[in-house]
Amino acid sequence: MHAHPTRRELLKAGGVGLLTFTLGGSVVKLSPAEAQAAGVPLAALTREEADTLAALGERLVPGSREAGVVAFVDYQLAASSGDCMLMLQYLGVDPPFTPFYREGLAALNVAARALYKLPFAELQDAPADALVDALAEGKIEGWTGPPPPLFYFVVRNDACDVTYGTEKGFAALGVPYAAHITPPSAWGEPS
Amino acid sequence: MTALPTEKIDAVIVGSGAAGSHFAARLAQAGKRVAILEAGPARENEDLVSSMLWARRLKGSGAPVLETGKDTVGYGFNAGRGVGGSSMHHYAVWPRMHENDFRVKSLYGRSRDWPIGYADLQAYYDRVQDECGIAGEHRMESTRPPGAPYPMPRVPVFEQGRIVGHGFEAMGMKVSPLPLAVTTRAFRGRPQCMWDGWCDAGCPIGALANAQTVHLPQAQAAGATLHPDTEVVRVLTDASGKRATGVEAITKDGQRVKVMADVVVLAAFTIQNPRLLLASATAQHPDGLANASGTLGRFITGHMAVPVFGLHEKETNPGFGASGGQLLNQEHYDDKNAHKAKGAFGSYQWMIAQAMKPNGLLGIASSRPDLRGKALSEFMERASRHMITMTGVVEDEALAENRVTLSARKDAAGVPLASVAHTSSKASNALWDVAAAEGVRVFEAAGAKEAWHANRAPMHIMGGTVMGESAANSVTNSYGQCHDVPNLFIGGAGLFPTSAAVNPTFTLHALSARSVEHLVANWSAAVG
Ligand SMILES: Cc1cc2nc3c(=O)[nH]c(=O)nc-3n(C[C@H](O)[C@H](O)[C@H](O)COP(=O)(O)OP(=O)(O)OC[C@H]3O[C@@H](n4cnc5c(N)ncnc54)[C@H](O)[C@@H]3O)c2cc1C
Ligand code: SF4
Repeated sequence: MHAHPTRRELLKAGGVGLLTFTLGGSVVKLSPAEAQAAGVPLAALTREEADTLAALGERLVPGSREAGVVAFVDYQLAASSGDCMLMLQYLGVDPPFTPFYREGLAALNVAARALYKLPFAELQDAPADALVDALAEGKIEGWTGPPPPLFYFVVRNDACDVTYGTEKGFAALGVPYAAHITPPSAWGEPS
Repeated sequence: MTALPTEKIDAVIVGSGAAGSHFAARLAQAGKRVAILEAGPARENEDLVSSMLWARRLKGSGAPVLETGKDTVGYGFNAGRGVGGSSMHHYAVWPRMHENDFRVKSLYGRSRDWPIGYADLQAYYDRVQDECGIAGEHRMESTRPPGAPYPMPRVPVFEQGRIVGHGFEAMGMKVSPLPLAVTTRAFRGRPQCMWDGWCDAGCPIGALANAQTVHLPQAQAAGATLHPDTEVVRVLTDASGKRATGVEAITKDGQRVKVMADVVVLAAFTIQNPRLLLASATAQHPDGLANASGTLGRFITGHMAVPVFGLHEKETNPGFGASGGQLLNQEHYDDKNAHKAKGAFGSYQWMIAQAMKPNGLLGIASSRPDLRGKALSEFMERASRHMITMTGVVEDEALAENRVTLSARKDAAGVPLASVAHTSSKASNALWDVAAAEGVRVFEAAGAKEAWHANRAPMHIMGGTVMGESAANSVTNSYGQCHDVPNLFIGGAGLFPTSAAVNPTFTLHALSARSVEHLVANWSAAVG
């Protein structure tokens, strides 16, 4: 999986927003949400990182787990830098970007475990929200990842991208998409 | 792919964006043999996918630029890479600079003067607007300096624009149609704009003036060759150090090649031009090429944008219109001391009622980065129908200490990375505060239920290779011709001695038109 095709090949191929995966030796097509549920192998993130990202994304932007925030970030992290669609590339952080996510997600779990003895993804609403508030304000003691408000901003944007920035997302808001060129897929994933 | 020239040609142009394509078109049309070397990939219309996600593939991904200082200039967002450069996904707001912008030092005793005045550029502005097409209404734009009427009818005003326009009027301020290099009717073979708000992703129908729609086709029709994926790493000079002989570049397959030419034009955008010159130091130019004055890299300016937002009870259809906006206000522009009592100096303008998509750095969700969870979902429901917005463009005083230097870190080709230090002056920051407070008041006067402004956002990068009268304190003369190396020309907003408070691209085109006309008329003198 994730043999990244060139942009032009993608455009020729067209697409319907499905990801192609190899599961148990056979090639299957899944939506990002199905892929997540099926435990499809990740290209850049570990399973724990993916679970943490999904939980944080969902808390910041409801609907982003289902919309595929993990599949999006994981796919972009594995893509070649010229094809990257992550907003992080504008924000003065040097590529490669995987360490940014890795360190941020790990720091969040360290904080969750220190405070509540559970990984972030397993927290109840109240403690999880309290930790997200502290993240946004940069007030997590002993934090070792990227600057917490930047990490918050970036993950929130990724979650907004998949939830609101696709044709489906526009439709859910009731906003006409009116494309000149319709995206061949939501975020460049092979169809 | 066209092979790179192996024999000496007349002119090699570094960068295929706004300035590079303009130089290329005029030189090729004057019968010169021209090659354009572009670091990034080829871009076709089919690459301009309407999506704020896909649009990010078009933007900067070259060697990183290191940024320091309190008010970083945001190279990553403000640069472009690939054929057409950032011109290809820019928003085409094209106001003229004002007379006082050229004489800041003589009028106000601070910052710098330009070596030319508005009168020297007027005819070139007129020529560029006729060629590229600008929509506007000069009789309504009372702050516009003298010039020919716009060649296309004004941009339409939609509900969002009407609402904000009323806010300005309620405060006794005037708005006029935004001068936009976008087609309000079929223009020179380009179709009329559809006002769908996708300009940020690049306009695949060609309604917006940029390198792809105007100058690159002219250049190629006149025989100029275009070489994508070819990154220039050094400007070459002869033994005397007084003449450029060509450039060294790296091709996609990693080969180091030389392209020799009588004239070299650097048009690689603001930060990259000084980086290349600094990295091209020789025994004759130990501090960087064309840097005898010590000003190379200095006087970097960046417009600090004022993003203002509001929610109105009426439906505003905020996703539609042009990414650049619908209306303009330049109320206090002509007196840079208008807010002196508040410690502020400079001019600012408002670009009003930009099209906003739900996501992205300039999208609806980013207007309230503090919102999350259910509050964000509710906000998005409302704001995607009721948002109003405008952006202030604030002058940034030119300071010598705001500069590009070379870092100890190098890119894959061994060229030192650019490091940019930028901290705005107190007076520029005070002006930003004045504008931000005014913006919120305008939105309240427009009847917004909620009105707020976001933080400073860097927009447009200028300076670093400033022009001037004297070789002692500037890099080039008023034609962008390097004082120390007369067959080396620079194109782009890096030439601006001061930032002004209007978007830079119309002015950089007017300068390019003037420079290239001078170069063609004085070819032998320049070549030496
Ligand atoms: C989102 C956005 C909106 C904007 N909106 C407006 C607006 O409304 N109005 C306005 O006036 N301006 C606007 N601008 C600014 C406008 O895009 C620039 O002023 C203009 O494109 C600069 O022209 P240029 O030729 O100097 O650089 P560019 O057009 O960026 O072209 C520079 C080219 O040089 C290439 N290059 C760099 N280094 C090398 C190298 N070493 N070798 C070879 N090639 C190299 C780059 O890849 C690039 O293609 C906007 C910019 C952005 C990012
Ligand atoms: S709004 Fe007009 S200029 Fe912008 S992308 Fe659409 S058609 Fe092109």
